[in-house]
Amino acid sequence: MPKTEMPSGALVLLILRVLRSGSLHGYAIAQRIHSLSDEVLQVEEGALYPALQKILVKGWATAEWGTSETNRKVRFYRLTGAGRKQLENELSEYERAHAAIRAVLRTA
Amino acid sequence: MGEWIRRLRYLLQRRRLEEELAGEMEFHREMAARHGGKPFGNALRLREEAREAWGWMWMERLGQDARYAGRQLRRSPGFTLAATLMLAIGIGANVGAFGFFNLMVLRPLPVRSPETLLRFKRRSPGSYASQMPYPEMAFFRRHTRTLSAVIAVSGGKLTIEGEDKPIDCDFVTGNFFDELGARPEMGRMFGEDGEGANEGEPVAVLSDGFWRRRFGGSAGVVGKTIRLNGKTATVIGVAPGEFSGLSMSNPEVWLKIDEQPYFVTGSHLLTDYSVDAQGVTMFGRLKAGENAAAAEAELKSLAAELHRERPADIWEQESLPSSAGGYAKNLGGGRHGTGREQGDEAYPLVALGGSLVLLILAVACGNLGSLLLARGVEREREMAIRKAVGAGAGRLVRQLFTESLVLAMLGTAAGLGVGWLVLRGMMRMAKAPAWLDASPDWRVVAFAAGAGMGAAILFGLTPAMQVARQRHRATRMRQVLIGVQIAASAVLVIVAGLLIRALDHALTAQPGFEFRQVVSIDPGLGAHGYTAAGARAYLDTLERRLRGLPGVESVAMTSMTPLGNKKVVTGADVPGRSVDAYMYGIDPEFFATMKIPLLRGRNLRRGEARALVISRSLAAQWPGGEPLGGTFEIGDEKYTVVGIAGSARLVAIQDPDAVEVYYLATEAELPSMVVLARTAGPPEGLAPFVRSVAKEIDPKIQPDVEMVKSSFQRKMEGAGQAAMSVAALGSVALVLACLGIVGLVSYSVSQRRKEIGIRMALGADRAQVLAVVVRNLASPIVVGLAAGVGGAAALAQLLRRELYGIGSMDAIAYLAAMGVFAAMVAGAALLPARRALRVDPLQSLRYE
Repeated sequence: MPKTEMPSGALVLLILRVLRSGSLHGYAIAQRIHSLSDEVLQVEEGALYPALQKILVKGWATAEWGTSETNRKVRFYRLTGAGRKQLENELSEYERAHAAIRAVLRTA
Repeated sequence: MGEWIRRLRYLLQRRRLEEELAGEMEFHREMAARHGGKPFGNALRLREEAREAWGWMWMERLGQDARYAGRQLRRSPGFTLAATLMLAIGIGANVGAFGFFNLMVLRPLPVRSPETLLRFKRRSPGSYASQMPYPEMAFFRRHTRTLSAVIAVSGGKLTIEGEDKPIDCDFVTGNFFDELGARPEMGRMFGEDGEGANEGEPVAVLSDGFWRRRFGGSAGVVGKTIRLNGKTATVIGVAPGEFSGLSMSNPEVWLKIDEQPYFVTGSHLLTDYSVDAQGVTMFGRLKAGENAAAAEAELKSLAAELHRERPADIWEQESLPSSAGGYAKNLGGGRHGTGREQGDEAYPLVALGGSLVLLILAVACGNLGSLLLARGVEREREMAIRKAVGAGAGRLVRQLFTESLVLAMLGTAAGLGVGWLVLRGMMRMAKAPAWLDASPDWRVVAFAAGAGMGAAILFGLTPAMQVARQRHRATRMRQVLIGVQIAASAVLVIVAGLLIRALDHALTAQPGFEFRQVVSIDPGLGAHGYTAAGARAYLDTLERRLRGLPGVESVAMTSMTPLGNKKVVTGADVPGRSVDAYMYGIDPEFFATMKIPLLRGRNLRRGEARALVISRSLAAQWPGGEPLGGTFEIGDEKYTVVGIAGSARLVAIQDPDAVEVYYLATEAELPSMVVLARTAGPPEGLAPFVRSVAKEIDPKIQPDVEMVKSSFQRKMEGAGQAAMSVAALGSVALVLACLGIVGLVSYSVSQRRKEIGIRMALGADRAQVLAVVVRNLASPIVVGLAAGVGGAAALAQLLRRELYGIGSMDAIAYLAAMGVFAAMVAGAALLPARRALRVDPLQSLRYE
């Protein structure tokens, strides 16, 4: 499977989206994105953790301690109200841009 | 907002959070390994990238740079010491000057709630006065609703047994100490209602200084009796040394204002409405919730009400403008006059002082910049290595500039110390009151930090860029830096030259009048309640008896003591500009006594009203050319010019723009006249006789007798101190600039050894060899000197009216200053250049 680069800016959107259905730890977030994208999107560790730190600083998610499936203490990320709002904004923003690009591609 | 709080939390807990991040990444790595994923990258680097999101990386890097800079500076202690010293001088001079400004203008007085204190003056369309009659103040005090308290202060000079000179006393309202929150150092202060054991008995509060000087700080002083003007008063307490009161005169004793007539026999202070008589300075404390505008509006309507009652005493449309009362600059003495009030003479001098100290900082910065460039040569290897391992130019500039910042911090700290010492020294020299505390407050520290930051940018940024780009060998930058130092120090040296010239001129030149054998006697008749007729009788007797004394040549009287502090000025409009005409009320003997020549026309005649003698300086600007027979308006009265006297700036010798107008003193002015006596020989022996004569005529008189030449000496001391200070600044600047030149020439010699060797081998003579190494100095010296002369000429404009008639473009001052300058600069350039002559051509060619 060829590796597909994550478009910049999209990663935060994807993280927020996968967190909407429940809190996850870092590795699980990467896995979820990977599997939901039919193994097309590969989340680089080097990109994931800076993005997560940014999300924490912005207050879009909070981190809390939990236990992993392998019985390790690990941080779970949970979406906050501000994060939900941010997700909606980014989604509608994405839809608009996407529709615009499609329109250009169709007619040009 | 929430984001910033979270960021701050990351900063404060960064160690724990970093560990958590590390643990998380470790877990990720394990899981990935288990699922056969790729190996994780460099964990440390990834962690750093993740941390970047917290937004504190700049601080971590700054910390790194600062630690590194500290190590670098410790490694070259000589350089660090020189740089710190240079900055300490440059910043210290500025901190000292700012500290003074801070004390005068910015820092509130050490009294209770200084921000709610207002000082009131009187103004009407035609007149102004900084003091007001006591009854007017009392009227305001009775009726005001915007002020919670009214304080009045009235200065006085009272004799005390055992001392020749009268001492400064302040008569104050009973609420003075309470309202200003002063706690007694000993005993008690005036109570609002004068309660206690001394009811009805005159009481006095001593200043800390007077208590120590006169009573040796003895605890037994409370309850003692002192005699002021021969009247007894009981000492009830001592005010602490840090208590400022509300006047700069720094009084020795405070007395109650309602007891003023007791101490000054015959005084009408409490009832007199006339503006020429002594008045009081009025301060008010705003009630909570009121503002200055409301208080001014209220007092204006109260003044209008009082004007209806006393139309002769309260001016028409009188207003009472206020100024913040809680600052030292507002504590100056009183003045009054007609027409518009003059602007404050101090502003140009403040601007000048500020410019001069900034120049010394500029010299220090230029010098340090050159030093940093020279260091760049030594650090070429280091820079090359850093570049090779991947540091960009921006990163190198940042690191080098951080070093400059660390230096600036050291310099600021040292500069604060130097500034404190300078200011304290100045205070000592000027005998400033103890409450003017020279130690730096937060404003001074903030200023010093700002100056240090500015200096770091000036001296550090350009060299940092040059060194980082490896361009520090270019001489252009060095030349610019030398040029700056030369220009700035040239300005300082020239201004010092002007001040010294002015002082010399004032000491040696004829001022247009003769004062060395004149004694002035101020009997203070007005303060003792003399009427015009009584004053006439007293003055006639005094003059007659003085004429009878052996050695007295002539006697005259005047409203303004020559070289004294009282100045009455009228802004006179002559075409083109307005001049300050000093108004002298005199008698016909005045010109003979002061030896002022009458050039044209005639003297004033006794009993003659509406006649004037004007000075030649005013005649020269007279509209229409011929002043004799012309008219001059003072207020609404027309006067005819009958004579022209030589120019004699008796009370403003430093101001070349001052012109004089003499009129016959009116009857109403007689109580404030000063008598002048010219002696045939030295005046020293006459003073005690004069004092006893003046007291004999009326025992209640406390005459202030002074030799005019002592006033002159005091004035010259002040001018001398100013000249010395600027000369000291100039010398330091010149020495720094010369050190800079020495550095540049030495560098040039070491850089050009080979060239010099070749030239010598080819037969160049000594002059040609010297020319090689000093050649690149020519343009910075010429350009710097030209800029310096221009800058000095511009600054000297501010000084023009303080130069005792020396022109601000005085050729001698400029030439002398430039002579000194040229000699120093030539020495600085040639001494190290001689090394070039000792270059051995063979060795230098073999050298590389």
